[in-house]
Amino acid sequence: MADEREISQRYRELPREEPPRHLDDAILAAARRAAETRPAPLVVPTGRRRWYFPLAAAAVIVLAVAVTVHVERQQPDVELAEAPAQAPAKRESFTPDPKPAPSQERAPAATADSRELRAKRDTEPPADLQKAQKEAQKAPSPPAPPPAASAPAPAQDAVSGTRESARADVGAKPAAPMRQESSVRASSAPSAAPSAAGALGALASSSPEQWLQGIDDLKRQGRHDEAEKQLAEFRKQYPNYRIPEAITEKFEKR
Amino acid sequence: MEAPDEELMLAYGRGDAGAFETLYKRHRGPVYRFVLRAIKNRSTAEELFQEVWIRVIEARSRYAPQARFTTWLYTIAHNLLVDHWRRKGLTLVQLDEEQLVAAPDNPARQAEAREALARLAQAIEALPAAQREAFLLHEEAGLSVAEIAAATGTNDEAAKSRLRYAMAKLKAAVDDG
Repeated sequence: MADEREISQRYRELPREEPPRHLDDAILAAARRAAETRPAPLVVPTGRRRWYFPLAAAAVIVLAVAVTVHVERQQPDVELAEAPAQAPAKRESFTPDPKPAPSQERAPAATADSRELRAKRDTEPPADLQKAQKEAQKAPSPPAPPPAASAPAPAQDAVSGTRESARADVGAKPAAPMRQESSVRASSAPSAAPSAAGALGALASSSPEQWLQGIDDLKRQGRHDEAEKQLAEFRKQYPNYRIPEAITEKFEKR
Repeated sequence: MEAPDEELMLAYGRGDAGAFETLYKRHRGPVYRFVLRAIKNRSTAEELFQEVWIRVIEARSRYAPQARFTTWLYTIAHNLLVDHWRRKGLTLVQLDEEQLVAAPDNPARQAEAREALARLAQAIEALPAAQREAFLLHEEAGLSVAEIAAATGTNDEAAKSRLRYAMAKLKAAVDDG
């Protein structure tokens, strides 16, 4: 025991080295930082992984918005696919019924307008195509466009009359009313001899949905050649447009 | 009356940074010398010293006073030393001879005292690692044989034997002069 005490005493005479100041500062700073942070969840993101959570949250939000927008854009196709099912009802309106119900007049027109707006937004053709269409509309309209409208004839005649007078006053008008006008006028004169060029011009100036509806009507009326020409022209102008299978099948069958 | 180490550590675990500061000031010197004299390279010793305290900080919420805080603290230091020795081998830091304390008497006795301390330092360096560690834990940390055994993961008999051999060798080295 005495020997141990002597060695201990000698050992205490050795230099009492202390840790350098910068080590003290670093350790105490780390201890303070740790004390400020409360005990965290079981899986703690540390170091470089800290940015994972905000980034993942942002990615999820962006993905959700993108999917929502995508789904919304797909909806016009769904409506088009439903079009053939509604077609028989519309065709009934072509029969020479002088007084269709008022509700039957407004509903198709409103549907056509909303579809046109959606289609314009979603499948906006290139700027040069729009320009060409406007020029085509400014040119004298063909004398007897083919029957392509889905609205009842007598009521639409009155509407087209007012629209025509308005066009005469204003000159260049937005494309949508004029397209509707030409197709409506076609329905008001079903007995006129339609030329292929005239039909092409009238339908080509309408919205993609109306155009396809016109093609479908031509097909039903047995005017297969015109319908095929229209379809070819349609594909030329809207190469990326998804044509409903209900329409394409009719052409394939033939 | 000073607060026990264990209470300070528990207080730090609850977010009291001041408790850690008190604890650190109490143990910084002994831990530093323990690590420094067990390792030859000073910069490595400083890294290990820092690592010991970082481990203490990280374990603040898990700490449970099952033994003395000092035993737990030097267990951490021992484990880090073992890891280091596995990588580098077993050596002691070279003590700076010019820093040795001089005796206040006449030049002859001063020289004799310096020689004795130098021999002690060399003898500590020459000890086998396990014996040196047992000696340093006893002298720097003030651990008992049982606590040395707990800190180094051995039994009491082995710890007692290591400490006894270390003391005997150091005594012989000091007496040689």
